[in-house]
Amino acid sequence: MKVIGRRRAFFVAAVFLAASAAYLVSDGGAVADFGEKIPKKIGDLAASRKDQTFNRETLYDYMDGGAEVYLAFDFREVWSRKYAGPGGREMTLDIFDMGTPAEAFGAFSCDRQDPDAGIGQESEYGGGLLRFWQGRYFVTITASADDRAAAGAVHELGKEAAKPLGPPGAKPDMVAFLPAEALRSERTSYFHSVVNLNNRFFVASENLFRLDRSTDCVIGEYGAGGAESITLLLIRYPDPARARSARQSFLASYLPEAGPEGIARTENRKWVSVSARDNFLAVVFDAPSGDEAKKLGASVKFPAK
Amino acid sequence: MNHPLTRRDFLRGTTVAVLGASLGFGQDKAVPKKSRVILIRQRDVLDENTKINPDILQSMLDEAVMKLLDGSDPVKAFQKLVKPAETVGIKTNVWSYLPTPPELEAAIKRRVIDAGVAPDRIGLDDHTVRTNPLFVKATSLINVAPLRTHYLAGVCGCIKNYIMFAESQPAYHPDSCADLGSLYKLPQVMGKTRLNVLCVLTPQFHGRGPHNFNRRYVWSYKGLIVGLDPVAVDTIGLRLIMAKRREVLGKALELPPVPKHIRLADTRHGIGTSDINAIEFIKLGWNEDTLV
Repeated sequence: MKVIGRRRAFFVAAVFLAASAAYLVSDGGAVADFGEKIPKKIGDLAASRKDQTFNRETLYDYMDGGAEVYLAFDFREVWSRKYAGPGGREMTLDIFDMGTPAEAFGAFSCDRQDPDAGIGQESEYGGGLLRFWQGRYFVTITASADDRAAAGAVHELGKEAAKPLGPPGAKPDMVAFLPAEALRSERTSYFHSVVNLNNRFFVASENLFRLDRSTDCVIGEYGAGGAESITLLLIRYPDPARARSARQSFLASYLPEAGPEGIARTENRKWVSVSARDNFLAVVFDAPSGDEAKKLGASVKFPAK
Repeated sequence: MNHPLTRRDFLRGTTVAVLGASLGFGQDKAVPKKSRVILIRQRDVLDENTKINPDILQSMLDEAVMKLLDGSDPVKAFQKLVKPAETVGIKTNVWSYLPTPPELEAAIKRRVIDAGVAPDRIGLDDHTVRTNPLFVKATSLINVAPLRTHYLAGVCGCIKNYIMFAESQPAYHPDSCADLGSLYKLPQVMGKTRLNVLCVLTPQFHGRGPHNFNRRYVWSYKGLIVGLDPVAVDTIGLRLIMAKRREVLGKALELPPVPKHIRLADTRHGIGTSDINAIEFIKLGWNEDTLV
């Protein structure tokens, strides 16, 4: 029995080491190693101080508030480098190890609004800010200026920073549950916490859906955009009871006039519906008719049990 | 909040009412004395590159403090705030993208010195105020912070600027930083704040992500908001942010999610007033595009 136990322990340890090695090598490696792989000089900008790394415990030292937004994801570490150049120009590179590609996509997806920059798996650039994700990494580059020279430097650094990040990763499974027809995919967001929900699509000042790190949320936008958009919020809870409880909470505070079907017209003459199925909650906002709300909610591609 | 603010309140146009006294109009409340808040703006305090003219900024601070205290001399006005024998801590903000401008720190420090406080008894600090000997010994505090939106708290102004006095900053983050007002009751702070200066030279009205600064969301407002009551000062600051967001982002995005801590600083923690009817709001100087 003891021999079998030792063999099992050895086997488990070997699997663990192999998995760890795969995690560290094939997926880009530890963020602290990027210091040697990313150029310290970009045009006339040069690394201006010692690189810094922050983990889940020390992120507060870096974020000046708001660390919770990353901690609500599976954030592991962030590596940061500052560049400085003539005329007080500055540029900051932050590479966040989000634990998994799904979480990296989540961090990228929540505050998206600018055109694609063609860097990493998905990216955007605007106003001196480049954001992209690649594998399990989410990257931001912020320039102090917002002109052509700054844009050039940011893009050059972005391309360099993407090189050591390893292969692409998969988006969260939740994204595939959204009905595809008329979906504006560039507006899809994935997250866990009410902080992200309210910054992405404000619902209420209180946590009506009882979101926390154990919940997975995806938001999809449908239609032409702007005031004509229909929004679908899909939430996965750890168990069906929490989904039902969240539905009741939402109905009581947001849609008290809704009947058993969980559907009502709101002040903008558009319709809101909420339905629970197993451990999922599907909420449709701003549908042009009750039927449209029901139809979109029913079109969610729930996973087979 | 008794009733949660929801998206439907925006649709109804009742955001202001639900946010309550912090933004409400017509809610009569018997108060013995209004909290005076001064907004002062000067067109030439910033040049086209947002470089600060320190002389104009000094005169703005002087004029605002004189008006706040009904004085006619800036030094005498500051002498009402701090006494020569005191140790004074100026709580600034060093957020790298939008710090309290050094010119504003210098203007405040100059007047504290003019009021008779020895330079070696004036502290200027942000992240290490809890252990800085000058702040540990401080008998008076002056709170100076830039106005900006904040991913968790909605807005970052004078109330939130005191978070560095907390032993644990994350302890103040739950529920949209609802209880930031209690910072003013910490032993190191309680009863010591003599002046609150909200820097709105270049406020930030929107941001993406907790760590993001973007010049697109900053504008040259060229002002200072000054008062003795941090809640009243931040209430005016929030109104300014909302007005700018309404103008640029549209009505649906006027409220940065979700600045409940300002009202709760009043109704739960009692450190000032968020009732616009209990605020004596005085505007001085340049009045183009004032927004509030």
